[in-house]
Amino acid sequence: MRRPGVFNVLLANLRKVATEMRRYLPNTISTVVTFYAIFLMFFLGIQVLGAPESAETNTQYVIVSTALWFLALMAMQGIGWEITLEATRGTLEQLYMSPIGAWRILLARMVGTVLVNLLIIVLMLFLSMATARQWLNLDLLTLPILLLTITGMLGVGFMVAGLSLVYKQVDSLLQIAQFVFLAFVAVPLSALPLLELAPVVKGADMVRGVMVERTPLTGFSVFDWLSLGLNAAVYFLLGIFLYGRAERRAMNRGLLGQY
Amino acid sequence: MSAIVEVEGLTKRYHKRASKEVVTAADGISFRVDEGEILGLLGPNGAGKTTTIKMICSLLKPDAGRVLVRGIDTQRHRLRALRHLSAVLEGNRNLYWRLSVRENMLYLAGNRGVSARVARPKIDALLGRFGLSDKADELVNNLSRGMQQKLALAVAMLAETDVVLLDEPTLGLDVGTGLEVRELLRDVAAEGRTVIISTHDMAVVQELCKRTVIISAGRVVADERVSNLLALFATRGYRVSLGAPLSAEQERRLAHTFAVFAYGEPELVLNVTLEHPEDIYRLMEILRLERTPVEDLGRTQVDFERVFLELTREETGRI
Repeated sequence: MRRPGVFNVLLANLRKVATEMRRYLPNTISTVVTFYAIFLMFFLGIQVLGAPESAETNTQYVIVSTALWFLALMAMQGIGWEITLEATRGTLEQLYMSPIGAWRILLARMVGTVLVNLLIIVLMLFLSMATARQWLNLDLLTLPILLLTITGMLGVGFMVAGLSLVYKQVDSLLQIAQFVFLAFVAVPLSALPLLELAPVVKGADMVRGVMVERTPLTGFSVFDWLSLGLNAAVYFLLGIFLYGRAERRAMNRGLLGQY
Repeated sequence: MSAIVEVEGLTKRYHKRASKEVVTAADGISFRVDEGEILGLLGPNGAGKTTTIKMICSLLKPDAGRVLVRGIDTQRHRLRALRHLSAVLEGNRNLYWRLSVRENMLYLAGNRGVSARVARPKIDALLGRFGLSDKADELVNNLSRGMQQKLALAVAMLAETDVVLLDEPTLGLDVGTGLEVRELLRDVAAEGRTVIISTHDMAVVQELCKRTVIISAGRVVADERVSNLLALFATRGYRVSLGAPLSAEQERRLAHTFAVFAYGEPELVLNVTLEHPEDIYRLMEILRLERTPVEDLGRTQVDFERVFLELTREETGRI
């Protein structure tokens, strides 16, 4: 018998996300415009209200934080909307009929969404930098930090997916979650060190370290890397575990096709 | 012939939150499906058909009982069992409406781990067979319900599984498209796949299914070959043309003696179902009470709709 290929699942989901993004171009453009408008709001706020001596650093801080917020929303919240939509449309049960396992398909969907949206993020980043005339340090070191940060984000995405699976009507919660995620990516660790335990915060802090403060590889301690790696692993595994629990509950109560 | 699907004592109860009432959707349902067989799963609304189908697909966990597909327990080895199963559960609702016909097939094949390179020629062949080639690049949203239903079937075929489960495959289709879908189902069956069809459409059962399992109030009330059921009910149904109307006392006695009978006053026709052959004498005794003339007596022509109605009515009466 043919063995199912997980890589083909990733490709299929990547194709789906890209196709829908291209097909609904006005929707994609409006998302970019909204985030650019939010950045402009922060940027102009700094120009008007902020101290002139720290305006440059603050602007760079805002550019990175806005981009990370967009990424966080795509990775952590998008799947919640998708689950609700799939249950409403009746396609969720088809995902559960796959011998690959629904959680792998959802993971592929989340990874696909993040990869496709990374292109938009890069575009937004350059647009923001050009608007503010502030050029960030684009270092390859950002990539491993981003990778680990995204892994943690996907874990939270699974938790949101689990909640959506069982309760379906989680729209209000997802709306509120946007602001929680904004706090996670924007609050500096130095202001509240305990936030290191929260998802994304450590990664966002390190990304800003590289891009704004131009911290080199040697600028991060082993503890920084360990904390980032552990945070990513714990949230990812916890997300999968909690999603599995939610899935069992949904199957017991017959919630997969309920809308 | 060996059983490819074995359903053993499936039980499922739901707890209603508001009233704290317990609803039994399936109550010890058992049946077997042989390899290459087309089985009709019939029952009135709320009988437990969809619950049973979803438990076979392992989308719903039973409170008791188990399902074996090719000997694999669907609860214990869910993903392994799913390699043998595909399903059309909510017809046209199983599709992505914002993707085209071809994109849907590619995506859903990809989700089963099939590469686009392998899937593409199979998709082209299926599109041709299902008459969807000229709609390949059309968004599903723009297709008619019948086309969407055919696409859902084509997606299930693309999975190339041994067992295909179809929940109400002809629901909501006009007569022509319903006929077309039935033709496609016949083709699918000819390939030697095992098909389980849950339906209200008696024409589907009578035309396509060799055997049927009838569920009523969560229990199996009949598990028999369609031809046997038709023969059984053909021998039980009688049509009596009368020369005079029945008296009230005769009607009362008929109701007391026969569970199923129908009497039309202007036409003076009595249709009655006999549980035992000797019941014919009891019928004649009731007619002799008022010396009611019998002008004609014959067996009733039965279709599967009547068999179904009588079986489910008997079961409801017993409860």
